[in-house]
Amino acid sequence: MSAIDLSLRGQAAAIAAGDADPSQLLDEALARIEERNPALNAIVETFPERSREMLAAAPDGPLHGVPVVIKDEWPLPWRAQRFGSAELPAPTAPAESGPYRALRDAGAVIVGVGNMEELGSGSTGAISVYGPAHNPWDLDRCPGGSSSGPAASVAARLVAGAVGADGLGSVRYPAAYCGLTGLKPTFARAAMEGHHAANWTTTIVSGPLCTDAADCRLLASALFGEALEQADASGLRIGVVRDVPSEDVDPEVRSACEEAIEMLRGETAGSIREIELPDLEMATIAAVLIANSDGLAEITPAQLNGLDPEISLINRGVLKYRMLIPSVAVSHAHRVRTLTRRRLAALLEDVDVIAWPTVPAPAPPLEAPIVELPSGTETADQANVRGGALANLTGTPAITVPVGLSSAGMPIGLQLGSAWGRDELLLDAAEALERANERRWVEARPPLAETEPAAADGS
Amino acid sequence: MSDAPARGEDFIAAGLASLGIEADGAELAVMAAVDQVFGPPIRQLVEFDVSSVAPERDLDLSRAPAPEEG
Repeated sequence: MSAIDLSLRGQAAAIAAGDADPSQLLDEALARIEERNPALNAIVETFPERSREMLAAAPDGPLHGVPVVIKDEWPLPWRAQRFGSAELPAPTAPAESGPYRALRDAGAVIVGVGNMEELGSGSTGAISVYGPAHNPWDLDRCPGGSSSGPAASVAARLVAGAVGADGLGSVRYPAAYCGLTGLKPTFARAAMEGHHAANWTTTIVSGPLCTDAADCRLLASALFGEALEQADASGLRIGVVRDVPSEDVDPEVRSACEEAIEMLRGETAGSIREIELPDLEMATIAAVLIANSDGLAEITPAQLNGLDPEISLINRGVLKYRMLIPSVAVSHAHRVRTLTRRRLAALLEDVDVIAWPTVPAPAPPLEAPIVELPSGTETADQANVRGGALANLTGTPAITVPVGLSSAGMPIGLQLGSAWGRDELLLDAAEALERANERRWVEARPPLAETEPAAADGS
Repeated sequence: MSDAPARGEDFIAAGLASLGIEADGAELAVMAAVDQVFGPPIRQLVEFDVSSVAPERDLDLSRAPAPEEG
């Protein structure tokens, strides 16, 4: 097996043991991007010389010499972020962002910038100034958003790990759509400096997307600046909420997630308990309003009157609509946040994790990002946020784990949420689930990634 | 028959005008569509009685909420 096809930790271990040459690995990653990315549009920019400079200066950290992708959401010393858009409301410039520093200090090599949904505003990845990224499992389907490029990059094995961002599910949706493990850390636990929203956001965090939980643990440790210790998740108390996020879902998603929850219980010799979290629909709209109003102080009518016409029509409309969010609604939203945090804290005294599908249906077509649910047809954005918003509203961590494939061959993800600061427990639980299903789903690869790359000599 | 869409369009036009924000017809159509999705839950949220929920002082989203005061 080529080193580029190893896991993130496998690549790191091979380099540390002298079994892989990091320069060769970087070349393999660049060749893999050149080979596969034209169909994916997952990577919007590579910079081989900068990558080689990073490698030359890389310290002997836990990711020494390992190529990774970073989302177009943070500045790099040689490149300002574009946020998937022709224009950002906030000024940007090349800089050392927190995730960049974390990766550099761990010895990693940033090999490319990942595509993303324009302005981070959607869950499907269907809109971007670069054109949409494509889902490696089916190029006609959404990769998920807003961390579309990072997810597609890892699923297609361009790299073994990528850094995304999650302000309203934006690590977890694309990880679920692409069959990956993705962690939304506890608020403020992962590196965030240099993000244009870092000074005012109350929802956005950086987070890893990898094929499995052990790789997420390794990458998250770099982003957190601390080693995330492994433990077993024995006796795991699993909470199940019989409400919209687990009930109004595609039957195949429901079946796969229920089976996975039962397997997780069995593997951990744990328990499953039905719990109630009232007024979830209020929590969802509260999260949407807070995420869309946190940064309004940065925007003026004059800016909106001069928006770059290359910004998509839908986002020009949404940007202007955000200015009309009633203050009374925002005030209610903040009070609902408090109410939900208190209720969740009480629930998480009685259970260790809360489980429900990450997204209610597998990735929809890029041309029509709508989903069919028991309640009817609606946009994927509307449906997805019901499962993703809670963690961002409350600040709690959440992880998505692949648990199956639909009859159309598209990945299905299960989300586990836990209490503040228990990110490690989520990784432990995800690893327990991998053991329970004998790593069947974390080792599943899209057909595109099964193809061996062409030999360097063209033979 | 509900007049909610018409109310929404009025609200959008009036709101934009009050802030001096310009929008063309296509943008107004997008905003009307957005309002059809988010207008109803926003109105439900505003009607949701949270007056008995004590505000969270010194909000720290990295931690569980502190116990309610007195």
